[in-house]
Amino acid sequence: MRGFRVTLAAVVLLLMAAIGFSPSAPAAVQEVLVGELLPLTGNFASLGQQYLWAGQTAEDIVNNDYAGLQVPLGPGKGFPSLGGATLKLVVRDDQSRGDLARTLAEQLITVNKVVWLNGDGTSGNTSLLQPVVEGFGIPLSCHPCASPTLTDKGFKWFWRTGPNDRTMVASVFSFLKEWPDHGGPRDLKTIALFSCDNLFCQDNHKIATELATRDGYQIVASLTTKTGATTLASEVQRLQAANPDILFLVQYPPETTVFQADAKRAGWTPKVIATSNGAYSDQTWLVAQRATNGAAGWIGRDPTAIDLASQKPAWKQVNEIYKKYSHGQDMGELAMREITGLLWMADVINRAKSVDPAALARAAEETNMTPEQMIIDYKGIKFDKNHQNELATGVVTQVGWDDQKHTIWPWDLAKRAGYTMIHPNPSWAERDAKPKPR
Amino acid sequence: MTLVLQAVVNGLEMGLVYALVAVGLAIIWGLMEMINFAHGELLMLGMFGAWWFSTTLHLDPLLAIPPVALVMFGVGRLIYTLLMRRVQRGETFAQIFATIGLFFFLQNSAVAAFTSDYRFVEGGLLSRLSGINLHLAGLSVGLPLLIAGALALVLFLALYLLVERTEFGLALQATSEDREAAMLVGIRPQRMFAVAWGLGAALVAVAGAILANFFAAYPQVGFPFTVLAYAIVALGGFGSILGTLLAALLVGVVQSVTVVYLPPAFKDAFVFASYLLIGLLRPQGLFGKF
Amino acid sequence: MPALALAAAALIALALPIPLQVAGYSYFVTVAFLVILNAMLGVGWNVIGGWAGQFDFGPNVFFAVGAYVAALLAVHLALSPWLGLVAGVGAAVVICAVLTWPITQLRGHYFAIATVAIWMIAQPIGATWELINGSRGLFLPLRPATGPLDAVVSLRFPGRSKALAFYYVILVLFAVTLVLLRMVDRSKLGFYFRAIRDDQEGAEGIGIDSRLYKVIARSITAAVFAAAGVVYAFWALAVFPEQVLDLNWSTFPMMATVVGGIGSLWGPVVGAVLLIPISQLMGATLGAGPLAGRGIDLVVYGVIIMLVAALRPNGLLSLPWRAWGRRLVGRRR
Repeated sequence: MRGFRVTLAAVVLLLMAAIGFSPSAPAAVQEVLVGELLPLTGNFASLGQQYLWAGQTAEDIVNNDYAGLQVPLGPGKGFPSLGGATLKLVVRDDQSRGDLARTLAEQLITVNKVVWLNGDGTSGNTSLLQPVVEGFGIPLSCHPCASPTLTDKGFKWFWRTGPNDRTMVASVFSFLKEWPDHGGPRDLKTIALFSCDNLFCQDNHKIATELATRDGYQIVASLTTKTGATTLASEVQRLQAANPDILFLVQYPPETTVFQADAKRAGWTPKVIATSNGAYSDQTWLVAQRATNGAAGWIGRDPTAIDLASQKPAWKQVNEIYKKYSHGQDMGELAMREITGLLWMADVINRAKSVDPAALARAAEETNMTPEQMIIDYKGIKFDKNHQNELATGVVTQVGWDDQKHTIWPWDLAKRAGYTMIHPNPSWAERDAKPKPR
Repeated sequence: MTLVLQAVVNGLEMGLVYALVAVGLAIIWGLMEMINFAHGELLMLGMFGAWWFSTTLHLDPLLAIPPVALVMFGVGRLIYTLLMRRVQRGETFAQIFATIGLFFFLQNSAVAAFTSDYRFVEGGLLSRLSGINLHLAGLSVGLPLLIAGALALVLFLALYLLVERTEFGLALQATSEDREAAMLVGIRPQRMFAVAWGLGAALVAVAGAILANFFAAYPQVGFPFTVLAYAIVALGGFGSILGTLLAALLVGVVQSVTVVYLPPAFKDAFVFASYLLIGLLRPQGLFGKF
Repeated sequence: MPALALAAAALIALALPIPLQVAGYSYFVTVAFLVILNAMLGVGWNVIGGWAGQFDFGPNVFFAVGAYVAALLAVHLALSPWLGLVAGVGAAVVICAVLTWPITQLRGHYFAIATVAIWMIAQPIGATWELINGSRGLFLPLRPATGPLDAVVSLRFPGRSKALAFYYVILVLFAVTLVLLRMVDRSKLGFYFRAIRDDQEGAEGIGIDSRLYKVIARSITAAVFAAAGVVYAFWALAVFPEQVLDLNWSTFPMMATVVGGIGSLWGPVVGAVLLIPISQLMGATLGAGPLAGRGIDLVVYGVIIMLVAALRPNGLLSLPWRAWGRRLVGRRR
């Protein structure tokens, strides 16, 4: 029975640990505390770190004086309407786990007294945070979370400035449908869907299935793989045997790499490879393709015309700030979504002139942001009744032989980009033969 | 039919790679019966080693094999002498606990040192050969994986000879079967364990260095391989190096043939289902000694 | 003395969260909830692992079964979580018995990998099965309780009171678990489990059906995991396969058990009480600030675990607490 005494000692220890936490003083006007809850270790760490860098960039922009920078709170230090108070992100790592995310959200709210919670960056874990903030009544935002379910439920305290998967996948199918009228091929009849198996993957798979059926494509293969695949050779065999005109690919960078190797070995390339996020949104994967031309001709949905946005002076300036934190990596579209969202949040706090949740919510509701203030080319930020930004757009881009993304849809933006599409998707031999961007 | 035969060929090629990943575990777990949760993390270190070697020294990642093996042999020995030797005094479950700690330590040290970026080894011999196939009776065999497989076979053969044909190997086996008896004939079990850990770590790191040519390296890369490696060693049977090789080939083939017809999401589930089926017929694995 | 200690521990467990809750720090109450939840899992795992001595790496499957059964009943039939608890535990016991019976032929590490196999097979089922909405997850209906009684019956507690309410819910379940397991521990069943662990052939020699009792032991473990899974589902309000089948639900109870001391009823409690606050504390200190995002807190956590394992491989309860306590008390006198 000596166990009891140990338990006793341990409980006291717990109490001491609890007291040992030094709860920060309630946010006065000197510092605006924002909880930044991200998957910084574990399976989603590669996403989490990009969001952290984006967060640090936004914090830098708000707190320092970037006189000529055309984004909310770029010029001047801190929040002008709060007497120059600075923005402080309180970072926590949920290890890519839902139960930890749920618990740490409560820590940030009740102990650190954050006035806003941003995170967790993945849709699955974020859906566990939503009931928490509904209970406490403080705003939550997740800008790169793209699952439609997050805003479908009509939560009062959740906002998303980024487009959801339905918008983005729909843009790919709109492009494919309209393509023949803009000089595209008329022989694309069949499609194969190939995706990973978590929430994000299955959302995309489901939406793509609906849209493909609606648009009259024949679905010749529909495969789901487990995340963490060590080989995809048989899947490639099946896809090759089904011989689709279009391959709709939703896979993370490691699996995409495996897929490329197995497809190359099988000597198979469909006429069109259309992707949805995953590797296509990952900056490190894109950069690595420079050595192999591996992504040339791939089509994907993006929330922004990155080639056009990056011509904006504001984009270039923000990118330079981002690179200070990202050990030299350029902003990818995920980072752009997150920075845009965080700067919107800063704007809301500034307009609210207070960190009171009700005032923040009101200011968020009243948001009407114009494209000139953004480094991303949404048509603006304005929320529908479920707090989804109804002006968030999807565009379609293609990776060219220069390993850069070029906008190919909507057609007016494509015209501005002035890029000639690669079609059909080049064979592996052609990729090997062409000069590499690096 | 060609589809299935091609899948068998693909599976065998992949199986050789799995064998390489599993063989380190076959020594530490299969022979010495010590559980190592951090096996995949040692693989990850090997991958990062090869990546670091090829990006900073601009040499072919395959040339990283000797230095990676050497360093990781030391690391493995260190893990044993500093940690596992003490842990061994307690319950077997303490080994699980200790190596979960090792898992946290190694994986997150990699996050701290390398960030969670995906790292791609570029310009090596194997990546230049990618897409080149040998053709045999209508079936194609990918050259890069074939080379990796051949390397795996060589290492396997060397290890087999070491364990089965040398005095050292016999001492290793004796230690694994009966520590007290081994001590009576003058074998120092702790030395044997240390060398086994060194060997195990070196082998799996070499597997990592080879795998880095095919897979993105990142701190969390190890887990899917670890799970398969455990299935392979158990399927092959404890204490059988040859069993591990055959089980690895079987796992490769099961993965690739089932998925030709059945849902790919169940690929690893099929491997484990076949483990259960075989286990019910042969409770000691295919070639298990104990 | 033990009775006194038990009473004191119970009192602390009952009273501890109230000041924290009153002070507005419901986070600490939630940490206490997690501690008890994991302690409960540890105590449950101890039955198959510590008492019956079988390597079970896959009890998280039954955590998921509990969570899913209760969630399905709540979503489709609007059943109370308490009925869900009964159904979830029942389903887990039946599924566990059916799955475990054949694999009890396997011994030692072979059995361990068989439990991993069941987990590996459960994952794609969870991710793709349309009935449970695959990876898109099951969301529990969010409807405010109509009154205090409804809140208790449906486990829907408004806003800030949720942490405290769930703490007491899990505490009650934990207490019930402890009482029942203590009865098992002291019954013939507990004796059979230990006999099988210590010497399976010997146990069979005196007529103990080792396979049957292994199945019983694992089913008890499964029941505890399923009960915890039900509570988790209503706490998280969403059930995703990769979250409820997370390996952590298997490894953490094992870790807690080993830290405390395997085989003793209280070992897992000690482990959970120590490990969870340590990791939370480090996440809030080392894991934040300028080093945020580099996993430093987990590196240190790993080192702490390795140190404990290297220094006390038989758990902290193996330290001479009794002698220390006596010396302490003696000195005072």
